[in-house]
Amino acid sequence: MIGILIVDDHSIFRSGLRADLGDAIDVVGEAADVDSAVAQIATLEPEVVLLDVHLPGGAGGGGAEVIRRSAALLDRVRFLALSVSDSAEDVVGVIRAGARGYITKGSSGAEVSAAVASVAGGDAVFSPRLAGFVLDAFGAVAGEQAVADDELDRLSAREREVMRLIARGYAYKEVAADLYISIKTVETHVSAVLRKLQLSSRHELTAWALERKLL
Amino acid sequence: MTTTFAPALTRPRRMAVAGVCAGLATHLGWRESTVRLVVIGLTVLGGAGILLYLWLWAFAPVDEAQGPDDAVSRSVPVAAILLGLGAVAAIVAVTLANVAASPYAAVAITVILGGGAVAWNLAFDRDDDIRSPRYRILVRSFGAALLTITGVLLLLSRGARPDAVTAVLAVFMIVVGVAVAALPGIVRLWTELLAERAGRVREEQRAEIAAHLHDSVLQTLALIQNRAGPSSEVARLARAQERELRDWLFAGSGPVGEDLATELRRVAAAIELDYPARVEVVATGEPAAAHTALVAAAREAMLNAARHAGGEVSVYLETSPDGIDVFIRDRGPGIDLATLPADRLGIRESIIGRMSRAGGSATVAPGAGGGTEVHLHLDTEPGGSA
Repeated sequence: MIGILIVDDHSIFRSGLRADLGDAIDVVGEAADVDSAVAQIATLEPEVVLLDVHLPGGAGGGGAEVIRRSAALLDRVRFLALSVSDSAEDVVGVIRAGARGYITKGSSGAEVSAAVASVAGGDAVFSPRLAGFVLDAFGAVAGEQAVADDELDRLSAREREVMRLIARGYAYKEVAADLYISIKTVETHVSAVLRKLQLSSRHELTAWALERKLL
Repeated sequence: MTTTFAPALTRPRRMAVAGVCAGLATHLGWRESTVRLVVIGLTVLGGAGILLYLWLWAFAPVDEAQGPDDAVSRSVPVAAILLGLGAVAAIVAVTLANVAASPYAAVAITVILGGGAVAWNLAFDRDDDIRSPRYRILVRSFGAALLTITGVLLLLSRGARPDAVTAVLAVFMIVVGVAVAALPGIVRLWTELLAERAGRVREEQRAEIAAHLHDSVLQTLALIQNRAGPSSEVARLARAQERELRDWLFAGSGPVGEDLATELRRVAAAIELDYPARVEVVATGEPAAAHTALVAAAREAMLNAARHAGGEVSVYLETSPDGIDVFIRDRGPGIDLATLPADRLGIRESIIGRMSRAGGSATVAPGAGGGTEVHLHLDTEPGGSA
């Protein structure tokens, strides 16, 4: 059983999601705004927090603010961002704050359950759109490629391949089959990309982050 | 004798001062000069004429405009005449002050006439075609100069030792003169400030509406789609509405013009309306011009995916320096080109044939985890229109 906290300001959405999640998931609590979310996370310490990107309350920072105010718990509590927004910028905001992945609110209950399980297991969850944004933001489409493994501002050839397949709608399992690597390796690559997304100071990433006062 | 209705009492748009006499003359059927004489006569004999004149000015409407450029024009340069009379009054005032007589009445008249000239200038001459911008500036400058110079001369009257009241009046006139000179600038600043504030309020309101819709309606639409499943009619309607709302909310933030990504998204939206499928388009790379054959082939592939597989369809567009790649991925039962009947032209002709004629290539292969993936590729022509 994975204990999760649902943070969303729409009670209809919370109850809908609660009903759709599988048996392997135990909803330990719900919160509707930034302040109550931070308080609930501190007292309940759920394994995974399903976090809406747009939230009322607090200083107006929405989901990203919840993560930043719970930063001390980041090694025990993992955040999965949920959004209706199509814009990668919104989502990358919460990812840079520390979320481990992102799914759209159009996802089915089974998809959300699977994503929660991956995040709980320490993996990252990328949607096709987020993968497309990553490819663009790191200049991978234009042909830029990392030379060293620890380079934060560019993707390695393998990471680029993985991102391209995810953008094409492939699941991790399918990516692994297509590239003749194990699922574990795919997950490692995705986690590496997530880390770059969170730590990179690439111009494209920092420009809008500054614009949105995320840094 | 036939009875005719008198024309309505309105003021003509081409007027001398306010169009009162001309309007009255038309209304009564008198000659205009007669009306003028009567009004002047009534004014001199007890002042009823001027009251009548002001009354009609305030309440008789001006004729309807015949066109957008049909501005009201006044043939008599009232502001200049007022200014001239004001100058005469100023001379009288200064003279009186210097011969130790009381100049107060003359000073009051000067202020009224000079201020009246500027007020008239600001109120009526601005929209008048027959007054040039130069005339307007001249009237204003002379009005300011008249008041200021009279004020200074009053201060210097009687060997620079005027009595207290004259001094106060003089300083007041100087202040008014300076104010008149600065007035247009202040008025313009004020108008700009108001316009800017109104614009900001509008923008804030729009952002607020967008945020509200984003938080409420879009969430509900997402929930409907989620609960109804991607293949149902309800989900399709909800998705179409979501798309429209999004387009409206974020209008202007996307790239302008018909590039390939926009075109593919448009095609995807149209297909989603007709088939129980959810087509997600992800685009990366530099925006590229919409290539007709490529869009047509991609449309055919999306149609096939939506028609035969349904559910989730992923479209990925990549524009790299080497060329353009489009991947269309579905999760259906999959197809085998070799066993396809010869009369099925969809894939063979509309996708593969079309791409090769356009100088590109197309492959149809089973996807890694089931379903079908169509890959369209087009090389970037150096300097071409790819």
